[in-house]
Amino acid sequence: MSKKTSSPNTSAPAATVRRGIGVNKASLPSSTMLWLVAVAIAIAVMGWLLVSRETELLLRAQELNLWLPTHLFWTGRMAYPGGLASWLGCYLTQFFYYPWLGTAIMCAMWLAVCAMLVWVYRLRGPWVALTLLLPLALLACLTQTGYWLYYQKLQGHLMVPTVGVLFASVALVVQRGIYAILPAKSARWAGLGWTAVVCVAGYPFFGAWALGATLLVAALPTPQPAGGEDVAAASVMKGMAVRLVIALLLFAVVPQIYYQRIFEMTQRNCLYYAALPSLRYGPDSFERYRIAYYAIILSFAVLAGLSLADATSYGRRVKPWVRLLATIALLVVAGFGVRAAWYSDPNFQKELAMNRAIEECDWERALTYARDGSSGVAPTRQIVLYKNLALFRLGRAGDEMFQYPEGATQQNAPWRVRMTQVGGKLIYYHYGKENFCYRWCMEDGVEFGWRAETLKFMVRTSLLNHEWTVARKYLNLLKQTTFHRRWAERYEPLLVNHDAFDLAKLEASVSEGRPLLNEEQQREFAPIMHMMTYPDRLDGDNTLVEMYLLQTFANGNGDDLLFQEMTLICALIMKDIDLFWPRFMRYATLNPKKNMPRYYQEAAYLYGHLENKVDISRMPFEQSVRDTYDRFMQFNAQCGMMTEEQKAVAFRPQFGDTFYYFYFLVRNQKTN
Amino acid sequence: MPKIYPDYINVTVPPNIAPLHFHIDQDADEYVTRFAVGSEEWLCGGRDVRPGVKTWRDITAAAAAADGRITVEVYMQHQGQWLRPLPFEITVSSDSIDPYISYRLISPSYVTYEDLTLNQRCLETFDETLIYGNMINSDEANGQCINCHHTQWYNPQRLQFHVRQYLGGTVISYDGKTEKVNLKTDSTLSAGVYPTWHPSKPWIVYSTNMTGQSFHTRDPQKIEVQDTKSNLIFYDLEHNEVTPITRDTTWLDCFPFWSPDGRYVYYVSAHWERLDTTALDFELIQNYKAVQYNLYRIPFDEQTRTFGPRQLMYDAVARNRSVTLPRISPDGRWLMFTEARFGVFHIWHSDADLYLLDLARAEPQEEVVHAIITHVPNPADPNEPMMFQRARVDSIRECLGALVPLPENVMPADSLNSHDCESYHSWSSNGSWVVFSSRRVDGNFTRPFIAHHDGNGHFTKPFELPQDDPQFHREFLRSYNIPEFMSGPVTITPQEFATVVKRDATPATLKMR
Repeated sequence: MSKKTSSPNTSAPAATVRRGIGVNKASLPSSTMLWLVAVAIAIAVMGWLLVSRETELLLRAQELNLWLPTHLFWTGRMAYPGGLASWLGCYLTQFFYYPWLGTAIMCAMWLAVCAMLVWVYRLRGPWVALTLLLPLALLACLTQTGYWLYYQKLQGHLMVPTVGVLFASVALVVQRGIYAILPAKSARWAGLGWTAVVCVAGYPFFGAWALGATLLVAALPTPQPAGGEDVAAASVMKGMAVRLVIALLLFAVVPQIYYQRIFEMTQRNCLYYAALPSLRYGPDSFERYRIAYYAIILSFAVLAGLSLADATSYGRRVKPWVRLLATIALLVVAGFGVRAAWYSDPNFQKELAMNRAIEECDWERALTYARDGSSGVAPTRQIVLYKNLALFRLGRAGDEMFQYPEGATQQNAPWRVRMTQVGGKLIYYHYGKENFCYRWCMEDGVEFGWRAETLKFMVRTSLLNHEWTVARKYLNLLKQTTFHRRWAERYEPLLVNHDAFDLAKLEASVSEGRPLLNEEQQREFAPIMHMMTYPDRLDGDNTLVEMYLLQTFANGNGDDLLFQEMTLICALIMKDIDLFWPRFMRYATLNPKKNMPRYYQEAAYLYGHLENKVDISRMPFEQSVRDTYDRFMQFNAQCGMMTEEQKAVAFRPQFGDTFYYFYFLVRNQKTN
Repeated sequence: MPKIYPDYINVTVPPNIAPLHFHIDQDADEYVTRFAVGSEEWLCGGRDVRPGVKTWRDITAAAAAADGRITVEVYMQHQGQWLRPLPFEITVSSDSIDPYISYRLISPSYVTYEDLTLNQRCLETFDETLIYGNMINSDEANGQCINCHHTQWYNPQRLQFHVRQYLGGTVISYDGKTEKVNLKTDSTLSAGVYPTWHPSKPWIVYSTNMTGQSFHTRDPQKIEVQDTKSNLIFYDLEHNEVTPITRDTTWLDCFPFWSPDGRYVYYVSAHWERLDTTALDFELIQNYKAVQYNLYRIPFDEQTRTFGPRQLMYDAVARNRSVTLPRISPDGRWLMFTEARFGVFHIWHSDADLYLLDLARAEPQEEVVHAIITHVPNPADPNEPMMFQRARVDSIRECLGALVPLPENVMPADSLNSHDCESYHSWSSNGSWVVFSSRRVDGNFTRPFIAHHDGNGHFTKPFELPQDDPQFHREFLRSYNIPEFMSGPVTITPQEFATVVKRDATPATLKMR
């Protein structure tokens, strides 16, 4: 019996310790339970922090994710090593549809990891709290994401590290279980066998995580043989060294064998990174994002090291207060590490929030975000475009478009973020450039994998293009998802409502009081159909969404009032006087009853003064337009010696919301 | 008739085809499907009707032993009542089909190409394996495109395909020896692009192309792929020599195909001259509807390895049409091509249909070089936008083209065509079957269809490539490119190809004749 019942006292004579180094097989002491409760509370706090600070990120993450319960989806993932990790990552990411739910699941997985590692490494006292190093590292992996959200090629990437660590922990639990249950000699062989299983069977499913798990499992000390402590420890270390050598051999060889036999689509030198985020964009590799992943390795190393150290007499002699202090120090360092890694960028958050508002056609909410200048950071072009779109859809662009912060701040990422890959598709969609929206959905689908968001765009652009069958194809895919099914069901009746996508019929139905679309659908689709009233041509955007829209609209012409206003707005933004006048005149003709919006008047008044090509003397400009112009010119005369940059600052308080200011002092808005 | 997907109602299939699994597209509580040949019957339950390979073999064997007809009855129980729509038939032909086809799987994207694969599918089962996939040699920094696979006379041991961009070159496998060559020379437009093997000799004729693509702003056809320049070259594999065949910059020569007797190379060509001072590619983009291809051939002298003057075989431009992809049946009688209103890359043209030219009744015609008219100004409105001036030309062409009848030796392959695009096609080695690409299912994703040919220019209703999961193509988000028959599988592994691709390409030498 004594062989099976290890002493809970870590200072017990070595001869009585039989089940691994310093093993306590008895149930967990109450102090350990208390520490575990503390760990659980800490994890809950981490979850709360995540949900409260990153709701928009989590919501977008699940929109940029897709999980399908189909054979094809499964085989698609399993064509690459680590496919199950990615499959599970996708599966779990979808729960961020409700951020609290996804986070709760993730926290539960983290807690399970901690509990397993406490048991595996026989951690006691304050050391138990050090299992938090892993959740902290995993939190850092997630919160450092930023614009990787759009560019990460590993599908399910937010949850894959958690899945990988969980797999490694389970592998360790099994190894520990083998050591605990089997007789020492059998355990050694069984442990070796399990090490091989983790590598050989785990690699195709978990990729690099299985390789890491192989080393961890091999490094777990075996049952200690009888004899003096030094002799026993030496024997254990020898056994571990042998296992590690074998594990390293497996580590090196197994992926190569799989490459030769199974994985025909993986580059040879990527075999050892399978199921890890690529953290590369184009030729550039961004090492700082790897730190969080190194932290995972380090965390395991710390826990394994502590476990080993506790088995030695030196380790056991460490005073409790020293353990406590060391634990606190390590956790504080890790906490600072998480804080440093946590991606925090006001424009990124604003883009996410505006995107969601626009997706919900909540234009006022989008404007509320655009108006918020509390961060003091100039907006990105993406935000400016979102703002202009919201104003346009509210019919207030001509009166308000220059009343919001203007800017061209580059997205805060170490590579050049392209609008096509972030919010460009949404912009194209609402401006009636359905083919370009569809095109970039397709490109993204190919490059980064299919996403719920992409499929939703493809459904809607196909409906607007009258491609009913392919719209059904995408819709049917969405219907198979866990959380986007309702969205698909909402749009499904439109597949047979063909007349609703004929603008003339739609408008007739509205005027007859029998609208073909419900209010929500009318609000979404009708303005887009107005924007599609232009003839087809061959074109290309060279990935520059804003430039393309400006040029294509500013050079366009139409009979539709909404479309024509857009051509006028773009001519205005491009500051192109020759393009402006015909569009201004046409807009005025198409819109005889409505007051001419302020900025169109300001532009006409200004251009009339700058060039005498058009006689503005009989145009009914509002007095405020004339007054502002006069004041602007007077102030300009007073500031004659200033540089343009100085003027931009000096004029902003009085004239920052005028077209005059935009025309003269807003320049070099480099778009992406 | 029941509503089923894929549509296998009243199709004719080869005796060695994989089971025709289908999905019943009608809601019911219970389904039973009965396959019957004479007095024998086989029952399948469920909405997905999947008899499996072994049962299917039994059914087709029984049908082959009888009159070839399988009667299929679908029974559906709904709210306690059993319904039986009219039964349909599947006819088992006595003509077998080559056991394999190869194709490229690609998402119908435009500039991105992750996960491009050349695959081979056993037509007798559902087994699909990889010939080569681009990801084995690609990463974020170095993308790789693969395309234009082609075997010599159905022989999988004699295969070529191109690798573009990273580690680019043409991979040629010939009787066990695999090499990567660089076919670009100083005197040719590009490396080889669209290939055609000589029926027996180690020679390949390629087109060389400067290709670009532009995007439709409204048209659901989405993109237009155009050549700004294209010529033909001859490649001698034994000597690794490239010889230009055509070099005229005012003609766009494309899609060569060697006749089965080796005496001619058929191809398509469009006349295009730069008319104004804008950049050539921009001018072509603006006038994309004015680029139309005719069918030509050039005689080939095997002794001297030289080509004769070209001969016009079908003047499609006179009919305001444009042809592409000539492919000749193994008996040399029938030339199938794809015809649409304009252009050469018809997979993006929904009006593209398959046609047959009866070579037994075809003689070279006198060449008429059609004037290139891109726009007609409006005398009443000198400031009329160019777009309307071009549209006027389109209408005039349409009217004039309608006056020119289809030549007697040309006929549309009506039973193969649909409301949407039909494009790439390939004859089986016995000439009894064709496999062709079509976007008829959803207008966006290309699927291979197979149809029986009776040897006299008549086809049966085509059937979609059978899949184990009958709804597979409904979920699958990739297109099938260039389906071609093969007599067996390619036995070189993707890893072996990957090793060859990693090597430096051997540059071909230029030989002028």
